[in-house]
Amino acid sequence: MNNAQATWVIYVTFLVGLILMLIPLPMEWRVIRPDALTLALFYWVMALPHRVGIFTAFCVGLLRDLMQGSPLGLSSPGLMLATLLLLMNYQRVRQYDLLLQCLVILSLLCLSAGIEQWIRSGIELPLVPTGAILGLLLSVLCWVPTRTVLRYFRRYFEVY
Amino acid sequence: MLCFVCLVALFVFRDQPRLAAVQRGAVDAVGSVASFVLAPLEAWGSLSSALQSRAALKDEILQLRQENLVLKGQAQRLSSALAEVARYRTLLNSVRDVEAEPVVARITALSPDAARHSIIQDKGASDGLREGQPVLSAEGLMGQLIWVGDRSSAAILITDGAHALPVQVNRSGLRAIAEGTGEINRLVIKHLPATTDIRVGDLLVSSGLGGRFPHGYPVGRVTDVTASPGDAFSLVHAAPTAALDRGRYVLVVVRDLEGLPEVDS
Repeated sequence: MNNAQATWVIYVTFLVGLILMLIPLPMEWRVIRPDALTLALFYWVMALPHRVGIFTAFCVGLLRDLMQGSPLGLSSPGLMLATLLLLMNYQRVRQYDLLLQCLVILSLLCLSAGIEQWIRSGIELPLVPTGAILGLLLSVLCWVPTRTVLRYFRRYFEVY
Repeated sequence: MLCFVCLVALFVFRDQPRLAAVQRGAVDAVGSVASFVLAPLEAWGSLSSALQSRAALKDEILQLRQENLVLKGQAQRLSSALAEVARYRTLLNSVRDVEAEPVVARITALSPDAARHSIIQDKGASDGLREGQPVLSAEGLMGQLIWVGDRSSAAILITDGAHALPVQVNRSGLRAIAEGTGEINRLVIKHLPATTDIRVGDLLVSSGLGGRFPHGYPVGRVTDVTASPGDAFSLVHAAPTAALDRGRYVLVVVRDLEGLPEVDS
């Protein structure tokens, strides 16, 4: 970690994403919690693909599983695949207008959530209820503020 | 490569004791972060309770006194009944129930995983909690501990889709297995013969089979019984008696669980 490049900002945003995940919500409302952690990951992958890549996605997934108390490695594969697709297309996605970018993010979120669900059924854990689709849509709505805030931080702290 | 690592972690090392230690540490971390997040809410709560009016407090004291009287009366009956039961037990030469000492814990967080029903409390191994110990509320059984950190612990609720517990119908003594459904107000009993005597409104209590849960704690009330002609089994749904998504405090029954199989999360 080199301080001149201020990469600590990236880790701090992941930490904030984890804390947002822990904010108490009523039992039945947890499905609609916007996934700030994954959004932050996608933003950093798109903005700094040479810093944040598949290994970071792997680590973020592991942290997430630890916080959730689920078996380690449950959410990593989905995040890693979505990150891979984003890494292959980041230049294109950066150029897209807002609506198209949101659609790309939505499909990536769906992909990672779908793979997670698939693994859940594979190791016979209870499945996420279908209401979680609403959570994905809310997450996409949160993409615009997330992007604005993180871009501000990136420029302010000169993360590169 | 990393994907492979994940899959190996998921399928091979799921029950590794070293991974379990990491997860116990994570429970502690979640507990402390949650209490940090909750601090402003707590402060607001204590402030508003400090500013309660005198009249409201008087009313509350009166109400609590009356409740206390009623409960004392019931406790008198209970103690005589307990003594009687103990006499019968010694007559039958059976093992006496270990008097369990409950520990009151405060719920600090819910698991962020929307598919699971689990809660995190602010008591852990340093307070004598161990994995597998049952968690109760004032109204009934809530679940059992799955991860116990040093100062926090995580409990799985009885409605979690991966949880099942042995129950008994209080009226008839019929034994069954109540499984969680993943819905907060619903338990299901799947494999009861269609001709079984079970009715809507029956109280299900923990049967104590398997030794994990103590005997006789209320679990749920039967809400509907579906027996379609031609089927071998009837489908029974029940609602948990404990308000699983309400309340701030839980009781953990600290009892010796040695000799029981490990908790499988």
